[in-house]
Amino acid sequence: MAGEAEHHALGVFECQLCALTAPYSYVGQKPPNTQSVVLLEESYVMKDPFSSDKATFLVLGSRCSLCSRLVCVGPECSLFYAKRFCLPCVRQHLSAFPQEIRQDVEKRTAPSKKISSQHRSQT
Amino acid sequence: MPPPRTRDARDHRDHRRAPSEEEAPEKWDWSCPETRRLLEDAFFRGEDPIRQGSEECQRFWAFFERLQRFRSLKASRQEEADPGHPTHSIPALADLPRAYDPRYRINLSVLGPDTRGSRELGRCLPPERASEFRRALLHYLDFSQKQAFARLAKLQRERAALPIAQYEKRILRTLKEHQVVVVAGDTGCGKSTQVPQYLLAAGFSHVACTQPRRIACISLAKRVGFESLSQYGSKVGYQIRFESTRSAATKIVFLTVGLLLRQIQREPSLPQYEVLIVDEVHERHLHNDFLLGVLRRLLPQRPDLKVILMSATINISLFSSYFGNAPVVQVPGRLFPITVVYQPQEAEPTTSKSEKLDPRPFLRVLQAIDNKYPPEERGDLLVFLSGMAEISAVLEAAQTYASHTQRWVVLPLHSALSVADQDKVFDVAPPGVRKCILSTNIAETSVTIDGIRFVVDSGKVKEMSYDPQAKLQRLQEFWISQASAEQRKGRAGRTGPGVCFRLYAESDYDAFAPYPVPEIRRVALDALVLQMKSMSVGNPRTFPFIEPPPPASLETAILYLQDQGALDSSESLTPIGSLLAQLPVDVVIGKMLILGSVFSLAEPMLTVAAALSVQSPFTRSAQSSLECAAARRPLESDQGDPLTLFNIFNAWVQVKSERSRNSRKWCRRRGIEEHRLYEMANLRRQFKELLEDHGLLAEAQLVAPGDSYSRLQQRRERRALHQLKRQHEEGAGRRRKVLRLQEDLGDCSSEEDCAGRAADDNVDIQDVKFKLRHNLEQLQAAASAAQDLSREQMALLKLVLGRGLYPQLAVPDALNSGRKDSDQVFHTQAKQGTVLHPTCVFANNPEVLHTQERETAGGEGKQGDKDKMNSSHQLLAFVSLLETNKPYLVNCVRIPALQSLLLFSRSLDTNGDCSRLVADGWLELQLADSESAVRLLTASLRLRAHWESALDRQLAHQARRQHLEEEEGEEAPPISRKEVAALSRELLQFMASKVPYSLRRLTGLETQNLYVGPQTVTAAPSLPGLFGSSTLSPHPIKGGYAVTDFLTYNCLTSDVDLYSDCLRSFWTCPHCDLHLPLTPLERIAHESSCPQAPQEGTAGGEEVAPEPVQKASALQRPYHCEACQKDFLFTPTEVLRHRKQHV
Repeated sequence: MAGEAEHHALGVFECQLCALTAPYSYVGQKPPNTQSVVLLEESYVMKDPFSSDKATFLVLGSRCSLCSRLVCVGPECSLFYAKRFCLPCVRQHLSAFPQEIRQDVEKRTAPSKKISSQHRSQT
Repeated sequence: MPPPRTRDARDHRDHRRAPSEEEAPEKWDWSCPETRRLLEDAFFRGEDPIRQGSEECQRFWAFFERLQRFRSLKASRQEEADPGHPTHSIPALADLPRAYDPRYRINLSVLGPDTRGSRELGRCLPPERASEFRRALLHYLDFSQKQAFARLAKLQRERAALPIAQYEKRILRTLKEHQVVVVAGDTGCGKSTQVPQYLLAAGFSHVACTQPRRIACISLAKRVGFESLSQYGSKVGYQIRFESTRSAATKIVFLTVGLLLRQIQREPSLPQYEVLIVDEVHERHLHNDFLLGVLRRLLPQRPDLKVILMSATINISLFSSYFGNAPVVQVPGRLFPITVVYQPQEAEPTTSKSEKLDPRPFLRVLQAIDNKYPPEERGDLLVFLSGMAEISAVLEAAQTYASHTQRWVVLPLHSALSVADQDKVFDVAPPGVRKCILSTNIAETSVTIDGIRFVVDSGKVKEMSYDPQAKLQRLQEFWISQASAEQRKGRAGRTGPGVCFRLYAESDYDAFAPYPVPEIRRVALDALVLQMKSMSVGNPRTFPFIEPPPPASLETAILYLQDQGALDSSESLTPIGSLLAQLPVDVVIGKMLILGSVFSLAEPMLTVAAALSVQSPFTRSAQSSLECAAARRPLESDQGDPLTLFNIFNAWVQVKSERSRNSRKWCRRRGIEEHRLYEMANLRRQFKELLEDHGLLAEAQLVAPGDSYSRLQQRRERRALHQLKRQHEEGAGRRRKVLRLQEDLGDCSSEEDCAGRAADDNVDIQDVKFKLRHNLEQLQAAASAAQDLSREQMALLKLVLGRGLYPQLAVPDALNSGRKDSDQVFHTQAKQGTVLHPTCVFANNPEVLHTQERETAGGEGKQGDKDKMNSSHQLLAFVSLLETNKPYLVNCVRIPALQSLLLFSRSLDTNGDCSRLVADGWLELQLADSESAVRLLTASLRLRAHWESALDRQLAHQARRQHLEEEEGEEAPPISRKEVAALSRELLQFMASKVPYSLRRLTGLETQNLYVGPQTVTAAPSLPGLFGSSTLSPHPIKGGYAVTDFLTYNCLTSDVDLYSDCLRSFWTCPHCDLHLPLTPLERIAHESSCPQAPQEGTAGGEEVAPEPVQKASALQRPYHCEACQKDFLFTPTEVLRHRKQHV
C-alpha cells in the first residue's frame, strides 16, 4: 500500500525522561498527508496508530527549548507554552512562567503517579 | 502544495475582540445545521484533519458544544493581564507571551478556510465567527492529540507491567544462542501477545506464530497489531482457512497449525520464516504434536531457523528434552489468590430418568454468591460444564433464577455458537448485575474473559474418544486432569482475588490424572497418516512423535486408507490418495468430490461435500419446535440427509440472491444456524478452487455481463459492499456493549421482532462479507441447476455419495418394520444396534427404509418366508458413527443394497451358481435365481472395470497436467463425454435392475465358517482369464477361485449344492449366437469377453457411431494359448473349444 510506505519509520523516538519509545515517521513542522495543520515546533511525529485515517498524525515529542533534551509530550515530562519545555526546566525557571502554568505544574507533580498506578490496576 | 495562507497569527487584538463581540450577540446559532454545514464546507475538506460526515466530525461537534458551555461559564471572569512580568535573561524564556492564554499551550495551528471556492462563505461567515470556530478546532485537535498520546502511554505502561516484560532480554538472548527455546508461563503472563512483539522489536521480520484455534489467530493478530501500533497497518496479520490479512508487508503472521503444516507440505524447508513460534504446545493437539516431530527433523536442515515453543507451566521437561534439552525461560503468571471451595455432590436422586444434568448444584452457587457478596462488589461467574447439553440444562434453570432475582445475565459459551453470540460474553453487565457464563472447556485456555471472580468447576469434560476397532467416535464425559482443574481455577484470579467452587471432593482431585490425554491417543488418525504419507516423512509407525500414538490406531488408519483406496497394498499413496491429502477434509468427503468430478456432477457434489464437512446447521431449538420442523419439511429429501442439506443450501442461496436481507430470518424460521451455511459457502468455494487447480473441474468462464452499464452497476455494488465492510470494521467493531438484563431470557431465535431489530439496526456484516467473497450469480446458477437435476442425475449423485461413503454402511434390522419409529435399529459391520440421529430425515420417516411388502410375492417363493425375497432392500450409507448416550448414525443416505454391494464391495464371495453372495464378509445376499445373479454379477464386473478405468484416467490426466503445467495448448479431456454418458446410463440401469433377493447380516458363527478354505483338488475350470490377462487362480485362504482382486468364486461353504460349480447347463449368450452347456463361471467368462457384448458403453449404440477401428472379423481376436504355446486368431467360442482339447 502506498499510504503505508509513507509511514515507514525513520527511527525510534525515545523520551529521555520517561523512556517511552515509539517509532516516528516524520520530524518537522508540517506532518505529511495533511495540508491545513502546521506544528509550532520541530516535532517527532508518527501516524496516529489509533485512527484508520491516514492523515491523522500523533505528535510524540520534541526538544526542550532550554536544555535540548528530547522529551515526550506526556504531562509528566513536558509542557508547551509557546515553546516546548521539559518539566525539570520548567521547575528550575518557574518564575518565568505565568501563574496558570505554575499552578498547573504544582498540580502535576503529586497526582500524576496516582493516575498511572490506577491505569496499571485496570489491566 | 499551496503555501500556508492565512496563518492563524497569534494576534492579541484579534483574540481580544472575540469576547467583546459575544457581549452583543447577534442572531448567530452554532447549532443551526446550515451554519454547521457552512463551517464544515469551509474547514473539513479533503486534506483537512477532520472530514465532513465522518465520525470524527460528530465527535468534534460534541466537543464544540461542551467547549461553548464551558466558555459561557467562564465568560464572566475578567481576564487579567499578568502584571509586570520581568523580561527574562535567558532568551528562550524572554519572549514568552506576557498574558496567559490557553491557546499558547497548543503546539499546533490550523490554516484558515479555503475561501477561494465559495464567495458565499465570505458573506455568510463573519471573520470573528470563523476565528472562533478555528480556535475551537484548535482545542479539539489538541485534545485529540492528548487523548491519543495518553492511550499510547497507557499501552506502553501496561505492556511493561506484564510479568513477561522482565524476561524480554533473556528470551532474546537465549534465542540468539539456541535454536529452540521453551517459554513457559501461565495464563496472564502475556507470552502470546508479547513474544511476537519482542521479536519484531529485535529486528526479525518473518515470524510465524501458530495457534491451535482459528479464533485465537484473529484475536491475537488484532491485539498484537494494536499493541505494536500497527492496528491499521499490515505488519501483523493472520491466516486461517478462509481468511487472510497477510500481505508482503506482514512481519508477524498468526496462523493455524494445520495451515503451517500445509505450507511445509508445499515447501518442506519452510523458507519463508526466520522464527517460528509454536504456541500452546502443552495442549497436545494432534497437529501440534505432529508439527513438533516435523520441526525436530527440519531443524538440522535449517540451522538459521529459530523455534520458540510456548507452553503453560505443564510438563515443560517433556518439550525441552524432546528438543535436546532446549533451554527453558519460565515466567511466573500473574494471579491473585484464589480460595478453593470443594462442594462434592452427594448422589442426589435425580428428578428425571433422562440423563439430563441436574442444575441444582449450580443454582446453589448462584444463590450463595447472592447471599454472601453485595451486588456492588463486581465480579462475574464462569461455570465450566462438560458439553452443550449440560450448558442448556443449566442455562434454562439459571435463567429462571435470574429472572426472579434480576441480578444475573446468563450467557452460554461454546464453539457451536455463532461468533456474534460468542462475543456477547465480553460485553459488560449493568451495575448490580453479574454475568454468569456457562462454558465448555473453550474458556479454559482459548477464550479469556476479564472480570471473572468466581469459577464453578464441574470437574467434567466431554471429549471425543476413538475406538479404533469399531471405527467409532465416542463423545464421552471424563473427569478432567489436575492440570485442567488448575487452569479452570486460575480463571478466577486474573483481575483480583477470586473463589473457585469445585463440585467434587478433594480426594477426587487427588485422583485426577496429572495431565489431559493427548489428542493423538484419542482420535482417528486417518487424516494424520494421509498427511504424513503426502509429506513423505516415512513410515508412520516409526515417526518420532513426542509421545507415540497407540499402534492399533495407526494400523486401523493405514488399513482404512487402504480400504478407501488412498494407499496401495505397499502403503504408498495412490493418485487418489495424493489428491485427497491436499483436500482439507475427511477422506470420505474428498473421495466424493473426485468421484463427482468424473461424472459431470462436480457442482452439486461440491455443495454436498461442503454440507457434510461442517457442523449440523440445525439449531437445538429446531429439533423441538414443530413450527421449524414444518417450515423445513418442504426442503427435506426422503433420500437422506446429505440431499436435505443440499436442498437447504440451494434454497438459501436462492433466498440470498432474491432478497438477501431476509436470509437471516429465513434461516431462523427453519431452525437453521445461518453461520453454518456461510461456512458451507466458504468450504464449497475452497473445494471448487482445489478441483480447478487439479484440473478436475473446468475453470468457470467468467461470464461478463454484456453491456458496460451492467458492468458499471456491478462495480458500483461491490464498492458499496466494500465500504460497508470497512465501516463495520472501523465502527462498532470492538466496543463493548452493556448487556440487557432481559436480553437472553427469551430465546432470541423464536422471536421475530428480535430478528427484525437485528436486521434493521445494523448491517448484516455476514451478508456483506458473503457477497464480497462469493460470486452470488455463479452460486445461484449452481443452485438453480441443482433444482433442475434430472432424476437420473440425482440417482447418479446418490450413487457417487454411496461409493464415497462405502464401507460406512449399515443394514436395517430385519424386524424394523414392526417397531416404533424411535426404535429402529441398524447394524454396521463392527457395531450392532446403532440408531438414527434425531436430526436424521429417516428418524421421523423410517418407512422409506423398509422393504416394500407387496413385492414379496414376486420372488420364486421356494425359500422359507424367513428370508424374504424382495428387490427393494436398502442399506444406509452414513458419514459418521457417533456415540454419545447411544451409537448414532450421522448423515445417512439410503441406497439399494444388492446393486451397491456389487459395485462397491472390496470383497465379494459367491457360491457355485452365484445365487449366494457374501459382501465384505458380513452381509449375505441370497438371490432367487442364479440366472439373474450371474447376469448382475457379470454386469457389475464390467461396470466396475469401466468406472475404475475412467477414474484412473481422470487422475492420471490430472497428474500429467501438473507435470506439464507450463505447456500450453488445449488438452483433450481425459475421458470423452460420450464415454461418461454411456457409463452413467449403464450404472443407472444397473442400479434400477429388479431382482428378488434376501439380505441379512451374518452371525458371528457364520462368519467364522464362511469359506471352504484352500482346496487340494485342482479341478480348475478351464477358462480363459477374465478381463484380458488376469488368470483365474485358486484363492489361497478362502478356497474357490479369485476372479478379480475382489471377487472370489465358489469359496462359500454351502450345505445345499456342493457341485454347482461343475454343473453345466445349456445356455445361450444374449449377445452372440453361442449356445453351449456352461457352468456359471464359464458364462461370466464368456460374457466378459464376448465381443458383441456391450463394451465401453456402446450398448445402446444410438449416441456412439460404430467404431471403424474394429477388425474385419469382429469376432476374432488374437489368442495365445498357454498350453500349446501357440498364437491364434479365435472367436471366443473357438477359444473355449480349443482349451477343451487340453483338459
